[in-house]
Amino acid sequence: MKWRAAIVALAGMFVLAGCAMHHRGPQPGQLTLGMVTDVGGLGDQSFNDSAYRGLLASQAQLGAYIQVLQSRSAPDYQPNLSALSNLHFEMIYAIGFLMSGDLDEVARANPTQHYAIIDAVVPDPNVVSVTFKEEDGSFLAGALAAMMSRTHHIAFLGGQDIPLLEKFEAGFVAGAREIDPSTRVDVKYVGSFDDVAAGKELTQLLFDGGADIVYSAAGKATLGSIDAVKTRTGDYVIGVDSDQDGKAPGKILTSMVKKVDVAVFDVAKAIQEGHPLSGHLVLGLKQHAIGLTDFRYTRDQIGPSRLARLARIEQAIEDGRISPPNTRPGEAAFRPVPVP
Amino acid sequence: MTGLILTLLWLTLVKSTPIIYAALGGVISERSGVINIGLEGMMAAGAFGAVVASNYVGHGIAGAMIGLLAGIASGALIGYVLAFAATKFKVDQIVAGMGINLICSGGAAYGLVLIFNQPGASRQVNSLGNNGESALIGFAFLLAIVLHWVLYRTPWGLRVRATGENPLAVKSAGLDPLRFRLVAVILSGALAGLGGAFLSIGELNLYSDGMTAGRGFIALAAVIFGRWTPLGAMGAAMVFGLFEALQYALEGRFAWLPADALSALPYIAALVALAGITGKVRAPASDGVPY
Repeated sequence: MKWRAAIVALAGMFVLAGCAMHHRGPQPGQLTLGMVTDVGGLGDQSFNDSAYRGLLASQAQLGAYIQVLQSRSAPDYQPNLSALSNLHFEMIYAIGFLMSGDLDEVARANPTQHYAIIDAVVPDPNVVSVTFKEEDGSFLAGALAAMMSRTHHIAFLGGQDIPLLEKFEAGFVAGAREIDPSTRVDVKYVGSFDDVAAGKELTQLLFDGGADIVYSAAGKATLGSIDAVKTRTGDYVIGVDSDQDGKAPGKILTSMVKKVDVAVFDVAKAIQEGHPLSGHLVLGLKQHAIGLTDFRYTRDQIGPSRLARLARIEQAIEDGRISPPNTRPGEAAFRPVPVP
Repeated sequence: MTGLILTLLWLTLVKSTPIIYAALGGVISERSGVINIGLEGMMAAGAFGAVVASNYVGHGIAGAMIGLLAGIASGALIGYVLAFAATKFKVDQIVAGMGINLICSGGAAYGLVLIFNQPGASRQVNSLGNNGESALIGFAFLLAIVLHWVLYRTPWGLRVRATGENPLAVKSAGLDPLRFRLVAVILSGALAGLGGAFLSIGELNLYSDGMTAGRGFIALAAVIFGRWTPLGAMGAAMVFGLFEALQYALEGRFAWLPADALSALPYIAALVALAGITGKVRAPASDGVPY
């Protein structure tokens, strides 16, 4: 009798759970948007979450029907992209550089389906590729770090050593050189974007090595960097992708914000207006898709003169007087441009 | 240079600690005759349970302490599930352990959405802080010594070992071998849970999906490498911890050494240890055999 009651209760729970999770399908005429995250997944409080915010904004402002498939590992990319393609979503977003090969294959197999990829270029006619000039924002981060460093020693911590991260690294190092060519910049890579503990240990190692500001461009692993800086005084971390300044107020100098959400929203909006975007969009400082935060917690520590100098450098990048390098060779060849 | 060596030493201690706890759990379980493949899952349960409790209790270090206890309890609870399956239902212990790993990692990932309303990682909670972290590191080594003494110098330890070698002999002495297995596996879960809690609220202040990263399996390797003794397992765990620490200390120093190869170091060390250096080892005679 007891067993039977337990089984009935259990069955009831499943039914309830089923009701709670039941989604209505898209209405006729509703804009349908699908998204496949990379292995960082939702909750990275960084890159994928930023893309998801764009999707939520499309839901709220464009009335779109949205669906997200998360990828646990790289072999999930292609099945996830194909699954959404079979459902004929009007736009399917592939979030991340790591998916470019898989998206290429899926896009060729479904030539009438629209796709968008963030952070990589896939040259198929039905794919719009969105890349960012991370070097612009990283350059500003490097300049600010060099101005703020008391030890004239700062550091860069990347996720994986891939061409995408080279843009962050090169921009950051060049930005520091713009302010003070003698600034030492240590460079380390976590080896993954999701190992939070490794992010913490490596950040501590960089601080122990003498750096007093660490620019952590490592996805979810950046959360470890933020944890590491909490117990230190006078040291800073620079966050990445989303505005992370509030996660350790006063200890995160700024965040290099990459407005993936705006790009996702713009692509959705163009679809709804009947002229889907195609080709390769490059978004940088000039398009206000890349930039630093508003220094809400660190404004007083930075001070007005440094902020003014940073604003002049920002203007110089927008005007094209400074072109931040996006590769290591480009960074080695970079010569500081005097900004009045 | 001395700075580098000191950091390397400290990192070795930090990285060894969760493996030591889980490996001690593995030793006591296998000594009683139950192979605990589920260490990985029990670590995840401990890590997640600790963060959830710390999140709800809050209030600084006290909240974190309760989180730590909750982590131990979560591990023990999962240990009880394995013990129950292994002693009452006499299921294949490997299969039950794998099931536990899948349930725990999946359950924690689902729990993140239910409780923190976001997948991937929990929000930041109260952690034990640097002092708590150091205390837990010291306690790991102390516990290894104590457990070694208990297993080899007390009647209870003798009986647990006898259960792992020959449960029938224990039975003929008028004792219930299943009781020893039950207690040993629950203890095993509690220790793995403690190791998991160290990862989430000792070393960090959050639960991140997949944060145990195979440490439960490395701990299993440490059990074998350490020849099923607590002190041996502790030493083996320190070797693996050293390789993990080396990975961080070496990163960025040599351009020809890619980060990916470095992050494989601890796992390669585990493989090499199991395949070659261990030499002739003998598991408890009834290890993995249901009684």
